[in-house]
Amino acid sequence: MDPSKMNSAELQQFLNEEKQKAMVNEMVAKLTNVCWDKCITGTPGSKFSSSETTCLTNCAQRYLDMSMIIMKRFQSMH
Amino acid sequence: MDPYSSSSSSSGLSPQLSTEDFMDQVKVQLAQAYAEEFLETVRAKCFDKCITKPGSSLSGSESSCVSRCVERYIEATGIISKALFRSSS
Repeated sequence: MDPSKMNSAELQQFLNEEKQKAMVNEMVAKLTNVCWDKCITGTPGSKFSSSETTCLTNCAQRYLDMSMIIMKRFQSMH
Repeated sequence: MDPYSSSSSSSGLSPQLSTEDFMDQVKVQLAQAYAEEFLETVRAKCFDKCITKPGSSLSGSESSCVSRCVERYIEATGIISKALFRSSS
């Protein structure tokens, strides 16, 4: 495909895709930041302990669960 | 007719910049912004963890703590990413 022939619809699609990717990256960065503080309490070692790894995984998934609850709670307010 | 002039007028870009160049620039700038933000976060986290009482110079144990901290933070990012997209029940 000749990129110079792309129309604005295709460009719009490209920008939407990049926006999606940026939002995903943002989410991962935010959760890493939050869960690091919750789960990594000691001095960083040369390996994560299994409890640290589990805590990070749980932390991310529970954050999603919580987000859903908060969203539903706000939706039912009106 | 010059193919670039028609594409640039339809997409509203400056005539010098092809659509392909524009998309490359968007990707490069997003990657740069992400890298900067990531570095800033790692600096903050590892300073908290490893430089607890700043002395007159960085000690050997502080530097090795920083190295481990950076590696762990990158690993943590991978774990979080997997946790989000593996079983998003």
